[in-house]
Amino acid sequence: MDKRTLEVIAEGDGAYLPVDPDDFRDAVGRKTRKLVSKVMTAEEAIARFVADGDYVVWDCNYLQRGPSALIREIMRQRKTKLWAGGKFTWVAVALLVEAGCCDRADMGFFMGGPGMNRAILEGRFTVYEYSNVVLTVRLRAGAMGVTFLPVRSLGGTDNFRYSGAKLIEDPYTGQPTVIVPALNPDVAIIHVHQADVHGNARIFGAGITDVESALASKKVILSAEEIIETEDIRHNPGLTKIPYYAVDAVVHQPFGSYPGECPGCYASDTEHVAEVFTAMHSDGLGEYLQKWVYDFSSEEEMLGKRVGLARLRDLQRRATVREGFRP
Amino acid sequence: MMPTTRMMRSGPWKEAPVATSFADREFQVCVTARLVEDDRTYWVAAGGGPMYTVLLAKRLYAPNAVYVTEDGIVAAEPILPLDPVMTVVAAKPSYRALQWTTMNGIGDHCAVGYLDYGILNTLQIDPYGNINSTWVGTYPTVGRRVNGPGGADSIAAMCPRTILMTDHQRRKFVPRVDFISSPGYLDGSAGARQRVGLPRDTGPWAVVTSWAVFDFDEATRHMRLRAIAPFVSLEQVLDEMSFRPLLPEHLEILDPPTEEELAIFRSTMDSAGQFSDASSHWVVQEDDRWVMVAK
Repeated sequence: MDKRTLEVIAEGDGAYLPVDPDDFRDAVGRKTRKLVSKVMTAEEAIARFVADGDYVVWDCNYLQRGPSALIREIMRQRKTKLWAGGKFTWVAVALLVEAGCCDRADMGFFMGGPGMNRAILEGRFTVYEYSNVVLTVRLRAGAMGVTFLPVRSLGGTDNFRYSGAKLIEDPYTGQPTVIVPALNPDVAIIHVHQADVHGNARIFGAGITDVESALASKKVILSAEEIIETEDIRHNPGLTKIPYYAVDAVVHQPFGSYPGECPGCYASDTEHVAEVFTAMHSDGLGEYLQKWVYDFSSEEEMLGKRVGLARLRDLQRRATVREGFRP
Repeated sequence: MMPTTRMMRSGPWKEAPVATSFADREFQVCVTARLVEDDRTYWVAAGGGPMYTVLLAKRLYAPNAVYVTEDGIVAAEPILPLDPVMTVVAAKPSYRALQWTTMNGIGDHCAVGYLDYGILNTLQIDPYGNINSTWVGTYPTVGRRVNGPGGADSIAAMCPRTILMTDHQRRKFVPRVDFISSPGYLDGSAGARQRVGLPRDTGPWAVVTSWAVFDFDEATRHMRLRAIAPFVSLEQVLDEMSFRPLLPEHLEILDPPTEEELAIFRSTMDSAGQFSDASSHWVVQEDDRWVMVAK
């Protein structure tokens, strides 16, 4: 058989987070293996583990079982120059851009509105183009400790041109193949149904890229609806999706996905969902952030004063489907 | 490999009472639902026309059609109507699924070939079925950003047959899209998709608008008109396109929606009118003819 060389046929010119799996291993090597409590407040977790300039990835989104409370805390603390993994995300990137937290994003799916559009045209916000699945494949590569993975999509699109992808002649088949760079974010924020104090975490239902995000990221912050005993974890270890040693912080955050739905726990706040979409499309995100984020020093205060117990109870009552969302 | 005349012209809807008043977008959903094949797998864009289409088809014409969404839900029997925006991850669209996996899970199922059809929405479409959902104007300096490809790029790249849904408007059918977010037949040349690493025997299969159905010529991969709604003329259809499609030897006339299709659609899917409100035209039957009025 002829010896093949790996030829790059074409490549995109988008910037991408530098790929360095040994550097990532070093970061993993510095994390504790001790079974210690990592429980802390959202304020402390974001202050300690999200730095200005970090690449931040979240699982799901602001409206669907995402870490909405942690995203609000990032904005409350006025983090800057974040690079967002913008996959499967309706409004979160637009909120972070409006808050001045985020100056670039990898695109899978997110909505913008006039505020984001101004930021793009004025050069305050840059977007690199991928797709939802290509971003989750990049995280999978990051979670495998390898530098890239081939995909059967992206080729031929303008996403390819403005991304970090390359078209190569595959050394095994000789056929053109698209490869995409691994992604090892600085920090992942993930909302889970249940976790113990060490960070062993259970997530119920369909999802996007929870496990890959946790294993691919240098720092991992979980928010959990419920803190459970490690004994409960040991009684049904097959339910553990994220192992404790990947986790740096566990935030006990009931209603952590508000205004989104956390399946099996509470429904979405449909009025709030309509409000944030309207604000985004009518250039009103500044007022939205004041009302729902900046006016309060913590999530507990926001939920208590702005949402109120009666409404929270109603959201719980509307979560009529429990099958599959409980052990 | 194209939508057959049989798919468009014969089916249970032939025997059902015809609706006398409907939005043109409702017509589009009904027509697309009639193209859904039983015992096939569909990866549908989450929410909107693509999801409505497969849900309507499962109720009336293709009970064993299976659909997946990019959040990892396989073969759900959802509780309808869904809450606004909560078309993915949430409990109601997840209900009674056969599997809950992840986005990488669904991407794998499609990459190895388990997902037969895709159904997508498009913002702009060109004669080769390339679609834009990223940017309107001159990328990236003039114009405005839209949502990005989401899951559509994977669907369009890897499903053997992709059905594209769009409103029938001149600004949607353009000679060249401003940005290729999801691939059609690219420049239309033979082998164009394989030269950039996409799986063979994949690509756009049909375009269903609020007024017409198109397919793609097998030799040139150029979009070809196949059928039009009973409430529009050929001239109207062509006037609302910025390029000229190929014309068929025989132009089919599509059947109007049935009362049953609309009753199911309006009560369980478009229950707040969020989909039909965006229609451009309303269609009513007067005596023996259809009258279309702009909304």
